Amino acid sequence: MARLGEVLARPDELAALGRSLWISLASVALSAALGVPLAFLFTRHEFPGRRALAALVALPVALPPLVGVIAFLYLYGESGLAARAVQGLLGLAGAPWRLTGPGAILLVHAYSMYVYFYLFTRAALLREDPSLAEAAAVLGAGRFRTLVRITLPALGPALAGAAVLVFMTSLGSFSAPYLFGGSFRVMTTQILSSKQNGDLEHAEGETALLVAAALGGLWVARRLDRRRDRPVGQHGTPPAPRRSPRRAVRVAAAVGGWALALLLLAPHATLLLLSFVPPGSWTTEAFPPVFAIGNYAALVSSAERLRPVVNSLWMAAVATAGALALGLAVAQVAVMRRGRLGSVLEWLMALPWAVPGTAFAFALATTFSVNSPLTLRFLLIGTPWILPLAYLVRALPVTGGAALTGLRRLDPSLAEAASSLGASPARIFRRVTLPAIAPALAAGASLALLAALGDFVLSIVLYGYETRPISIEILSALRLQETGVAAAYGVLLAAASAVAFLLFGQEQGSGG
Amino acid sequence: MTTRHRSLLVLALSLSAACHDARTPVVVYSPHGRDLLQLFESTYEQAHPEVDVRWLDMGSQEVVDRLRSERANPQADVWFGAPATLFARAAADGLLAPYRPSWAGAIPATSRGDGDLYFGVFRTLPVLVFNSAAVSAAEAPADWDALLDPQWKGRLLIRDPMASGVLRTVFGMVLARSLAETGSTDRGFAWLARLDAQTKEYVANPALLHEKLLRQEGAVTIWELTDTLLERRRGAPFGYRFASSGTPVIDDAIALVAGAPHAEAARGFVEWVGGLEAQRLAAEQVFRIPARTDLPPEALPAWAREALAEMRPAEVDGKLVAREIQGWMATWDRTVRGHGGDR
Repeated sequence: MARLGEVLARPDELAALGRSLWISLASVALSAALGVPLAFLFTRHEFPGRRALAALVALPVALPPLVGVIAFLYLYGESGLAARAVQGLLGLAGAPWRLTGPGAILLVHAYSMYVYFYLFTRAALLREDPSLAEAAAVLGAGRFRTLVRITLPALGPALAGAAVLVFMTSLGSFSAPYLFGGSFRVMTTQILSSKQNGDLEHAEGETALLVAAALGGLWVARRLDRRRDRPVGQHGTPPAPRRSPRRAVRVAAAVGGWALALLLLAPHATLLLLSFVPPGSWTTEAFPPVFAIGNYAALVSSAERLRPVVNSLWMAAVATAGALALGLAVAQVAVMRRGRLGSVLEWLMALPWAVPGTAFAFALATTFSVNSPLTLRFLLIGTPWILPLAYLVRALPVTGGAALTGLRRLDPSLAEAASSLGASPARIFRRVTLPAIAPALAAGASLALLAALGDFVLSIVLYGYETRPISIEILSALRLQETGVAAAYGVLLAAASAVAFLLFGQEQGSGG
Repeated sequence: MTTRHRSLLVLALSLSAACHDARTPVVVYSPHGRDLLQLFESTYEQAHPEVDVRWLDMGSQEVVDRLRSERANPQADVWFGAPATLFARAAADGLLAPYRPSWAGAIPATSRGDGDLYFGVFRTLPVLVFNSAAVSAAEAPADWDALLDPQWKGRLLIRDPMASGVLRTVFGMVLARSLAETGSTDRGFAWLARLDAQTKEYVANPALLHEKLLRQEGAVTIWELTDTLLERRRGAPFGYRFASSGTPVIDDAIALVAGAPHAEAARGFVEWVGGLEAQRLAAEQVFRIPARTDLPPEALPAWAREALAEMRPAEVDGKLVAREIQGWMATWDRTVRGHGGDR
């Protein structure tokens, strides 16, 4: 507490906290501005390639850590493809822009976080009750009025859930401010700086301040959200995406959809490009001068280099399954018991998100290097189970949040009807509740899986010799300046994420 | 889905089970990177088939954090690589165990810890690095002061000094000199403020620093010799110069972890790392300069002999820097970084 007071007394710390807060709020706004319209576009309008693109635009979350940043630099950095193309086109002497400062942080945040809004909104739209909109139309409401008065309010819980996730993620976000912030310092970079300087007490004070801010944000969000908590009944099937009768609208939807998807997948394309560039061969040219498959050959050349792939896959799968089951159980209890216990559980579940990643990892490491079952501490450090556990706990806010969103929107009359027809609680859960909340769960599970597959922050602290994940291998390759090999790993990781994501997350449309 | 997960799990578990052999593992936490670690692993295992060297690659700060959080149940046997100042901090926290290898006498007293808690293994030499495709060797800065020349304004890249032993050592030298010659650090901080005004960007990690230098987002930087030579071997057009006013030498150390689970085997490994064979191998293949002072010149490859002949060690009060650097860097971080010399 004394440390917290010492931190609070410093104007530069308060300024950093202020910057953290406004960056997080702006990230929420920008992510919503990108994610919500995209969700509408891909659920409401039919155009060629819609289904495939609808899945693909969620892939920015599957851009691997570290090497994703490199892809961004090669694409949008001052020596990147885009900058050099503009420079060549306009005949400029120097780079037209630099990827640095708050603008760069926001660009990266919006890019990597709009997916929360996109997925949650899409899941909600796919479960939408068309009868209300139809009623509004019958009563003479225009399309805009229906959107504002009926559709958007019904999306409330989904939007609130996504906003909280984005806010918390931005607040704890470290890579983007560290790599792109320049002299623009936020709380996470302050913490790192104190820690690297060996001033652990000060770093603890700063961490406490950040956690307090995160919990404060969560509290505000819950207050706002509480007014909206009401179940929405579903009658009939959700509206199918439609082909507009007007040709211009159809063309606009198709062109817009394709253009946005291409833009959003450009960093992935850059990564793919990089994976075929031999080490050190692409320097000042606008486009790589040589291509080769040597990087992939290096990757499959030894079992040692393939093992991280297997490790990442099983650990992420186990963690996701666990987080899904636990998140659902906790959400169920929290919804059934609206009183104190419910809200306490909700807070507990969100806690892993409020603590910065590295602090969380070191806390786990300290906790689980002691065997004391009575205090629920088990010896996990040094076993293969510590990383899956870390991924699991870290994913709880996502899976639990998704389950909560789904359960809150569930019409209780369905369960009541089933109950009065003599169905057991287990049967009701299996036949009524689960199918109804499946899209929300799938969205949460796919995000949890991607986060675990791509995690770097927890892994670097907790990985062991036998649980070396891909992200550590990527770091290793980058350290040796094997950007191409790192990119090849990145491509593998992104591909694995994409496949898992398509299997898990995209059955929402048919799961009615 | 569950069947798939289960089969993946079984696959993973059987893979890891396959690696449980009769050999004694030696777990090494190290930032030295794959090239050196793999070389040492395979060479050592060949001579000692009963030992399985397992290295975990992480930054030196992460090593300290890990050792601290694993204190109740240590997982590592050896910590290999970081500036000796970081080892000193860990030693003060009781994270290291004493061990005196046979070559201890060849390490200068300033390069080892009290009570045999750690010993220098390699010497890291900060140099002025430039992209030779953009800057000729004649134009390249030949001393630290030359970086303040107007021609480098906006062309100087610097690794984030808070995170970098190399930069902390150079900054420490500048401030310690100022203190010794003028009785205050003011002149040193003024110099650092001018350097800040020249700096285009503080780069987060060495990988990005090299990437940016290679792609000519900057032309010159301060970095160390080993990495620069490795880069050059990989084809990067990097040149370097030793600062004419003196190079502050960094001792890169090794230590036994307190409570190491395989302490006996770990001692064998530490003994070998400082031995003649490993030192020669590291110098010849991965550009490391031995910390031992008893090696005959012909034991070193030509590049190392040349470098050592060219380099003039800076005279720095190491104890003073070790004591003060944390406060100095905190001041630099708050009042100099990004202020563009408006101090």
